[in-house]
Amino acid sequence: MHSFEFMEPTTLAEALRLLATHEDDACVFAGGTALLLAMRQRMMVPEIVVSLGRLHDLRTIGWTPAGGLRIGALARHGDVARSELVQQHYPMLAGVAAGLANPQVRNQATIGGNLCYADPATDPPSCLIAMGAEVTIAGPDGERRIPMRTFSVDFFTTALEPGEILTGILLPPPDPQRLGHYRRHLRTAAEHRPVANVALTARRVGSAWDEVRLVVGAATPSPQSMTRAEAYLAGRAITLDVAAEAASLVAEELAPISDGRGDAAFRRQVVRAATRRIVAEAAGLDWKETAA
Amino acid sequence: MTVSVVGQPMPQVSAQEKVQGRAVYAGDIKMAGMLHAKLLRSPHAHARILSIDTSAAEALPGVKVVVTGDDVPRRRWGVHHKQQNVLACGLVRFVGEEVAAVVATTEAVAQDALELIRIEYEELPAVLDIDAALSEGAVPVHPEGNVVDEINIARGDVEAGFAAADIVHEEVYTTHSQYPGYMEPMATVAATDGNGRLTVWTSTQSVFLARQRLAEALDRPISSIRVIQATVGGGFGAKIVEERSSVIAAFLATKVDRPVRLNLSRLDDIQSGCFSVPMRIRLKMGMTRDGTITAKDVTIEAECGAYAGLSPEVMLVTAMRSDNMQRLENVRSHARMIHTHTMPRGAFRGFGGTQMSFALNSHMSTMADMLGMDPFDLHRRNAIRTGDLSVHGWEIGSCGLPECLDQVSTALDWTARRARNTRCGVLRRGVGMAAVMHVSGNRTMGNWDGSTVVLKVNEDGRVVILTAESDMGQGANTMLTQICAQELGIPVSHVTVQAPDTDNSPYCLGSLASRVTINAGNAMLGAARQARSQILEAAAQKLGCEAADLTIADGVVHSGKNPNLFAPLPEICRYHIFRHGGEGILVRHTHDPKTVMMNKEHYGNIAPAYSFAAQALEVEVDTETGQVRVVETYLSDDCGKAINPLTVHGQSAGAAVQAVGWTLYEELQMEGGRVMNGNLADYTMPTAEAVPTMHSDIVETDEPNGPLGAKGASETAILPGAPAIANAVYDAIGVRITDLPITPEKILAALAAKEQPHA
Ligand SMILES: Cc1cc2nc3c(=O)[nH]c(=O)nc-3n(C[C@H](O)[C@H](O)[C@H](O)COP(=O)(O)OP(=O)(O)OC[C@H]3O[C@@H](n4cnc5c(N)ncnc54)[C@H](O)[C@@H]3O)c2cc1C
Repeated sequence: MHSFEFMEPTTLAEALRLLATHEDDACVFAGGTALLLAMRQRMMVPEIVVSLGRLHDLRTIGWTPAGGLRIGALARHGDVARSELVQQHYPMLAGVAAGLANPQVRNQATIGGNLCYADPATDPPSCLIAMGAEVTIAGPDGERRIPMRTFSVDFFTTALEPGEILTGILLPPPDPQRLGHYRRHLRTAAEHRPVANVALTARRVGSAWDEVRLVVGAATPSPQSMTRAEAYLAGRAITLDVAAEAASLVAEELAPISDGRGDAAFRRQVVRAATRRIVAEAAGLDWKETAA
Repeated sequence: MTVSVVGQPMPQVSAQEKVQGRAVYAGDIKMAGMLHAKLLRSPHAHARILSIDTSAAEALPGVKVVVTGDDVPRRRWGVHHKQQNVLACGLVRFVGEEVAAVVATTEAVAQDALELIRIEYEELPAVLDIDAALSEGAVPVHPEGNVVDEINIARGDVEAGFAAADIVHEEVYTTHSQYPGYMEPMATVAATDGNGRLTVWTSTQSVFLARQRLAEALDRPISSIRVIQATVGGGFGAKIVEERSSVIAAFLATKVDRPVRLNLSRLDDIQSGCFSVPMRIRLKMGMTRDGTITAKDVTIEAECGAYAGLSPEVMLVTAMRSDNMQRLENVRSHARMIHTHTMPRGAFRGFGGTQMSFALNSHMSTMADMLGMDPFDLHRRNAIRTGDLSVHGWEIGSCGLPECLDQVSTALDWTARRARNTRCGVLRRGVGMAAVMHVSGNRTMGNWDGSTVVLKVNEDGRVVILTAESDMGQGANTMLTQICAQELGIPVSHVTVQAPDTDNSPYCLGSLASRVTINAGNAMLGAARQARSQILEAAAQKLGCEAADLTIADGVVHSGKNPNLFAPLPEICRYHIFRHGGEGILVRHTHDPKTVMMNKEHYGNIAPAYSFAAQALEVEVDTETGQVRVVETYLSDDCGKAINPLTVHGQSAGAAVQAVGWTLYEELQMEGGRVMNGNLADYTMPTAEAVPTMHSDIVETDEPNGPLGAKGASETAILPGAPAIANAVYDAIGVRITDLPITPEKILAALAAKEQPHA
């Protein structure tokens, strides 16, 4: 690794100033789990590393009945998983945070770093999009707020402008009628990262669903909303056949990536299986009985 | 009474220093004035080196020397085929081959300097797989051609055997390369002294073989080199004689005349090779209706990559070892070792046994189905037994194979679980089994397999053991300690085993061929008994009684006849020194097993003993995602007397996990000869979450040639995993995977093919 200068600003303003001054030579350091790997492989060679570690406000998780949840960008996956607020009001997110990576990573890596690095093989982005999250971003000209679905742009690319810092994640107040499910699939049990995942939320209306959000992650360059399946599922009584049909629609609409973890055809098949299962599961059906 | 120490489960003698982080690995060693080395590797599979410009690298502040193939000795080194120089000379033969080395004040400077070395290559056509290497007009990897070794073995009348068979089955199996995945990547510190001697601290399974290799590669006298084994963080075969970085480090030290450390990063370690030998095995077998094997015909094509190393020896094992597990008469095998422009492959735990075990056990299960027989019964019917002379002349002094089979089938509740399978639903379960054998010791490395232990009893009655058999984590030092403590009647904490050091330890071959317990264990037993009798003689003199009346327990010599006659060991050991003109108790015992070198027809009893194992397991196959999960596994190892049952269980569990990794998780991805997944995030070895519920058991046969009845353990245990999984997958979904690894894609493709109506 190349030598670099390690800065530890104590205010957000100071951090933003450092980024503005050093421009391309500087980069943000949160938990370091992604950054240090990139630096060791010399994929990133910053001269100035600006740590957010002392911006304690960015670590907090807060909730109000009217405003919903605010997770500081610096909250670690483990903090999110263990937070009673998250567990109580957003169990889907608590489950995702508790189940990703491994204990070492969960206790070091931040949710903000996860979103900003925009590695496709991750869990939170698809989940957050399905939950209708927004993110807050601080820059030289103040703070802006955008939907999570527009934040993840492409492979390792986000809507962040140079010199900006992700400050938090906002989730709308919980809706007791809204169901939420998440499934991740590892290529083998020895894998560290998902080859595909599916997040599903919907409003229960009688025995049917409404406002369905079905988002695929990890199998695509950035999370992909499955609009055809969403429309198909809305207003329908869910049976195993309906789940299988939704899975087929997703498999058709999906634009998967090919890499060392699996080619496009494999990912399509895995997403099809995961979709069938998550829809069945959300409707209280047993997917193990029949194959798609 | 002496409390028995042998047979007691005890933690490794090195456990404490390891968990405290105080064990010193080569990469931990720091010396005054020490420099750091980094290696530049070839980006091409096959290319001529036209020119190397090192001037910019040499000009970088902190760089001490940059060396290339022009600077290294012309003499080539290798196991039998002398094919390599310290650095590539003029030609590179695989992506990753070392072409230059930088020595600098820090690793970072050395790394920066690598980027400043300019090399002009002329790319040449490369052969990247067996078929390309064997094709008409293929580019030869070495002038001698691409077939570097060929073995033909035939016994009995194979054609008559097939004619007598009721069923004949033929299939081709392919196996892939596995990374040894030891926790410690290769690390070496080398230093010259003012007298021109070279000392090398390195991670090795054999200090004497390491020294011999260094002498050859550096073209200098053996005795001008001293090799000391640092703590070894796992070897699995790769650290016997094939790794190259210790050779390069030693050469660099002689160039700069200062201590040099060369630590390989994980990526470096993976790129430098040391994976297992991939093979294509065609197996044809005939059986009578009752399951008796009448004939077996095997063809093997194996890929050693750019340099042969130990691969020919590995292939010999593949070609003949498993024949000795069964009562066979008519066998034939033809095997060829083939060069390609890929990383060199070689020794790996099981030493060629895993490849053939996959083919043989897959085949046995298939033929059991053809006969409507249970595979356990088919194995039992053909199993070799204690007292047999095998088809290749191996004398089976003890064989617990039938007991291993019984143990695992009972433990898994085989019959009931097998009957439960309905082959429906999304997640389907199936059971599979396999049976294997391995050697304990092997005379074929140079027609000698002996071992020497020097035992020094200190004046306080505590002892030091000198040996050059290596503890690479497998527990050799604990085994020696237990035997020694028991024989001398002293606590295990009073025994120290010194790290192998070519200047001070007796000559030994090192840790390979599961030979250390049986050979060094016997040497230890002999040395301890010699020391014991000297102690008792001295005590008899001092106490004025007969030595025959005395015994030692808990570090005290006492008479069995007169309770008032006793003396603690420190008293006796000091007495011995003072009454023998200053000579303390220092004994040496060599054990030379009564084996023979195999003859030209590969016949003869090469090993003092043979160990056996069986495994049964259950898998669950996800028919929608192709994922295979091993649910539960039972493994039984016939290792003779288990000197330390805790270690045997640990080795069995570790071996089973490594086999699961090879079968399901690990896959070396190469493109144009380049490793695409050279890190542990992408080359996925089993993690704690990825292993099944594991059980192991021990069959304690009493081996007549073993120390206190013991044989080797641990290599045997890696052999049955892959075919047991493949057989269980077949049981679950009716799909037989004959090419490893068993990936989700292969499962899905096979399921899809099965559903297609036949044309
Ligand atoms: C072994 C392993 C397994 C993993 N498995 C999973 C998994 O299963 N699922 C999963 O989702 N993820 C997984 N990950 C990824 C992990 O979640 C991310 O590495 C982590 O979340 C990144 O967070 P960090 O705080 O360490 O970021 P850092 O490494 O500090 O930063 C990452 C990048 O984001 C930038 N950055 C960080 N914070 C901010 C900010 N607030 N504003 C602007 N830019 C910022 C940095 O400049 C850097 O470019 C795994 C990682 C490892 C190492």
